[in-house]
This record gives sequence, structure tokens and C-alpha cells, in this order.
Amino acid sequence: MNIKLVGRINLLTLFIAIVSLFIASSLFSAEGGPCKDYGPCDEFQPELNNLESLQRGASIYLNYCYGCHSLQYSRWGRVANDLEIPEDIFIENLVLDTGVKMGDLMVGSMDKELSKEWFGVAPPDLTLVARKRTPEWVYTYLRAFYEDSSKTYGVNNLVYPGAAMPNVLAELQGRQRLTCKDIPIFAANGGEKRDESGNTLTEEKCGYLKVDANSGSLSVDEFDSFIFDLTNFLTYVGEPSRADRERIGTYTIFFFIIFTVLSSLLYREFQKDYH
Amino acid sequence: MIAKMFNWVNDRLPIVNTFERHLSKHPVPKKVNFWYLFGALATIVLIIQILSGIWLMMPYSNTEEGAFASIEYIMRDVDYGWVIRYMHTTGASLFFAIVYLHMFRGLLYGSYQKPKELVWLFGCTIYLVMMAEGFLGYVLPYGQMSYWGAQVIISLFGAIPYIGESLEVWIRGDYYISGITISRFFALHVVALPLILIALVFLHLVSLHEVGAGNPEGVDIEKFRDEDGVPIDSVPFFPYKVLSALPAMGIFGLVFCVIMFFFPEGGGYFIELANFEEANPLVTPEHIAPVWYYSPFYTMLRAVPDPLGGLIVMAAGVAIFFVVPWLDRSNVASIRYKGVYSKLAITLFVASFITLGYLGTVPVTEIGRIMSVICTFLYFAFFLLMPIYTSFEKTSKVPDRL
Repeated sequence: MNIKLVGRINLLTLFIAIVSLFIASSLFSAEGGPCKDYGPCDEFQPELNNLESLQRGASIYLNYCYGCHSLQYSRWGRVANDLEIPEDIFIENLVLDTGVKMGDLMVGSMDKELSKEWFGVAPPDLTLVARKRTPEWVYTYLRAFYEDSSKTYGVNNLVYPGAAMPNVLAELQGRQRLTCKDIPIFAANGGEKRDESGNTLTEEKCGYLKVDANSGSLSVDEFDSFIFDLTNFLTYVGEPSRADRERIGTYTIFFFIIFTVLSSLLYREFQKDYH
Repeated sequence: MIAKMFNWVNDRLPIVNTFERHLSKHPVPKKVNFWYLFGALATIVLIIQILSGIWLMMPYSNTEEGAFASIEYIMRDVDYGWVIRYMHTTGASLFFAIVYLHMFRGLLYGSYQKPKELVWLFGCTIYLVMMAEGFLGYVLPYGQMSYWGAQVIISLFGAIPYIGESLEVWIRGDYYISGITISRFFALHVVALPLILIALVFLHLVSLHEVGAGNPEGVDIEKFRDEDGVPIDSVPFFPYKVLSALPAMGIFGLVFCVIMFFFPEGGGYFIELANFEEANPLVTPEHIAPVWYYSPFYTMLRAVPDPLGGLIVMAAGVAIFFVVPWLDRSNVASIRYKGVYSKLAITLFVASFITLGYLGTVPVTEIGRIMSVICTFLYFAFFLLMPIYTSFEKTSKVPDRL
């Protein structure tokens, strides 16, 4: 009979009702994204099998960040092992504290009380920063410092307005400032607006980041790739088993596909008994 | 020799009898659809949760200082600890997803109607215990959202007049959430509630086997029996129904593994990102949201401006499932033969439930608040108007055979 048809119509109404309610509610619940004044965060695709990038990232972290930011849930030996850095090279070049053992946690060396006095807040532990904030956020944040003389350390951040952290990478990146530029005006239909003679109409918008040419020791591209390696390392250290997880996951999916197919065939064979 | 030993045991323990009664000779309807698979899947997830839970319990530290770090210890230093932990977090979310689908099946095909009222009541109690179990478990990793979520939920009890405040202290065991709270939540989460849950699942299944499983047509298969007294439209549970569940388990395993190995955070819905930061009583997160499976009820709570009123509405939202068997006055069980009002009602109900769920995960806006009030009304209207629309609408005739 048309029971099936009724069922389908019912499902269809259900689907339409749900979709429309969703659209209606999501339209009005829009809020600022995680990257705040910066707009949408920049794209970041981690490369957890790119050992060279991870090794560079670890070296950057230990040289520039570890002085203030511990990685208290991670162990030295695990990092050296996962990143395939030989222990002697690792200890000599990256572990700047002679007292540590490879099995120790990377608890940092800065006194929490003193640092709170210096910066107002103790620099947070960063083991899980990429998990809590997402790697995209970290990648964008580290590139979004700009000069702002109203702040204690002379810098502010578009992603994290009022961040208490000084821009320790300024000598590499150079002097980044907020600038304004002319951008085309878009009409409601998405096309660019033009005047009578066909010239594109523009308006001035502010809040763009621009680095003064040759003010830093790295070019913009070099600095981006520097931050990429650092973010890649933080993504790794947030979940050191992630590469393993995805590798093993592929096998399990393969297994369940075969299991489903075989069990369906078996089921069909047994169904013949009563159909 | 083995046969002799088996007989010796069987004379003292009803092995063959139980096997025949509940498996190899237990008649189940021969034609059901995929909606009837979620009960079996729920059992599988329960087993996954119990096993992974036991192994998580070994390295977990139920102290204020150690809880959060012990989770990271499991994720990093315990061999394959991350598999076990993700299994437990994924299992928790999928347990609720499956139970929601299982409950929806019940509403769709009238699985609560006479004589299955008790099966339904045990099921509702299981759901209630699961909600408590999920909440307690969520506090244990002691991340920011664990702490602040617990703060919100426990403070709900504070809205109860007269005893509220002392009740809060009694639940926490302290004037604020502390190590004492964690260790008692741990005891309840790993011992007390799982025991109750297993007992309830046992009762749910035994009562189901007493009255017999339903089918999407709402046909009573007991009416026509063959000469041995076995219903004609039935097949033995073992091996037929077990085999029909196998492909479903395969697909379920696939979904489970895709989430567990590739999207364990579930986009922040299965593991909230704020929970990657240790609990800090001095810093309130920007936006406190419950895990997705509580969010429909959380929205109901927020829809009412008065805290006590909100608590009552929220509790009523869960409690109302218990009386469904007595609200449905229809002479047919399945939605297929019910009238247009029942179909409309269940459509609106599902839409409002999902919308409530969505609204609970996002910050409150004016339009969101209005929608949450509308959806709360629709949600309750489905239940409260059920005696009216099910008794007046025109139903179609149910066939005799499956």
C-alpha cells in the first residue's frame, strides 16, 4: 500500500522542519570567532609525519618559549624518541638544563611566583594549548602581534586583545603595525560596485597587519614557515599519539568494512530460512 | 566425559533451560526494521563502557591535585591509554545517541503500550541513571568544563526552597567543589551507578522477554500459532536475530572507529575544548555549555527565567517519559496506522527536541531565547496533548499477520 509513501512524506516534513529550525536559530546565534579582531583564523594543516618540521619546531620552542612556558605533561625522552632526535644530541643542544633526566617531565625552570610579579599572570603551561585553542588559533595568534604603545610591552595582539605576553619573536618578524587600506565595495549581490566610468569603488578599512620592510631578520614567508614548525610541534605535543591514532584507525576501518560485508552475506544466507 | 560434566552442572544450574527460553527458542517477530537494532547496540556500548572504564580506573587519580594530570598520564605514558580513554569518551556520546534513537523507536511504534509498560518504565529509569552517570563521569577529568559544569548542575539543587543550600553542600561534601567531591563522584561513577545500571538493564530485558518484542506494524504475533504453540510470524532469537544484528554492529563499529581514531573531540561536542585546561575556580569560562546529550534539557532550564521554575520544567521534561504509556489512548501501536495528528505531533516533537539541543550548545541570544520557549512548549505539547489527539484521530486498520 502507500504506507511507505506516507512514511517518506513524514520523514521529508521532519527533515524540512529540522533544517528550517536550524537555519533560523543559527542565523541569530552568530558570535565572534575564536580569532577575535583578526577575523577567521588562518588555515593550518598539521604535518605530524614531517619529522624535520617537528624537530625544527621543538628547537624553536626550547630556545624561544620554554624559558617561560613549561610543557609539564610531556616528558623529555618521549619528545626525543618520537621526533627521532638522538639522545646525546638532544641533551647537548636542546635540553639547556644539565640536571634533567630523559624520563622527567618538562616542567620548565621559571619560578611561578616571580613570573606572576613580572608579567601580571604566570605564563601558562602550553602542553595542551593546541588542543584547547586549536592549532589554527595558535598559528594565527603567533603572527598577529602588532606595535601598540599604549601597552606595557609596546605590543598588542589581534587574536588575543590585551595579551600579557611580550612579542619575543619581534626581532625575527620585524615591526608589525596596524594599517588601513582601500578595498572594493561589494554590492548586495556579491559583485564589485563600480562608478559610471567603470572604475571599482573602494572604501578605506583599517585593522590590517603589515610588517615594515626589512625590519626583521626573516622575510614574511620565512617567518610564516618558522611559526608553522612551532605550531606543528605544539600540535604534536598536545597529543603525541595522534599520528599513531590515525595510522591504527585506518586498519580498524578496513576491518569493520570487511566485517560488515561478510556478516551481511551470512545474514542473507540465514534469511533464506524464513522468507 | 565433557557431556557428563555438563550434565552435572546443568542439573544444578538451568543452563539449557535459560539458553532455550531466552535465546534459541525465544520467538521474535520475523520482520522488523533497522530501528529495532539500537537495543542490541546499546548493550554493546554498555559493555565497552564497563571494560574501558575498568582500565581507565587503574591509572586514574581521584584527587584534586592529581585528577587532570592523571588523564594526561593516561594519554601519554600509559601504553595505548589514549585508545582506552577515547573509547570511553566516544562510547559515552554514542551511548546517548543510540539510547535516544532507541527511545524514539519506542515512541514511533508504541513500544510502551500494554503489556510493555514495565519494559518502558525500566528503560526510562535506565535513561535517568545514565544521565547521572554521564554527569559524574564528566566531572572526573577535572578540566575547566568539568568544574564549571558541575558548578552549574549542583547549584540547580540550590534552587529548591528551604533545603536547597544544605543539599548542595551534602552533594559536594564540601562548601565548594573539591577533592572530596571528586572522590565521591568517582565512587558513584565507577561502582554505585554501574551496578544499578546493570541491574536495570537485566530487568529491562527480562520483562521484555516476558511480554515479547514488538514490530513496526504493531501486529500482535501471539494471535496465530503453529501446532507447537510457536507464533507463526516469529523466528528464534538465536541465531536469526543475532545474525541480523551483526551487520549493524559492523556499521556501528565503523562509525565508532571513525570518531574514536579521527575525530575524538567530535568538533568539541564529545570532548569540549575548554576541558583541555585544568579546573580553575578563579576563572569562569566564557561560555559554559553542557555536553550535547544534556543540551535539550539545559535549554529548557534556561528558557524559564526563575531558577526553581527552570529546574521543575527540566525535571518534568525527563519525568514525562515515564507516563507515556498512560498518555497514549490510541487503539493502534505503530505510527504507520496512527492518524495524521500523531504524525504531525511526533514530527514537531523531534524538530523541537533537536532545536532545543542545538540551542543548549550556543550562547543565549534574544531570538534563541524565544525559540527555546516555543520549542519547550512544543516538546510538552507532544506529551500533554497526546490523550486528546490519539483518542480522536482516525486510525487505519492493522493487518492480522506480519
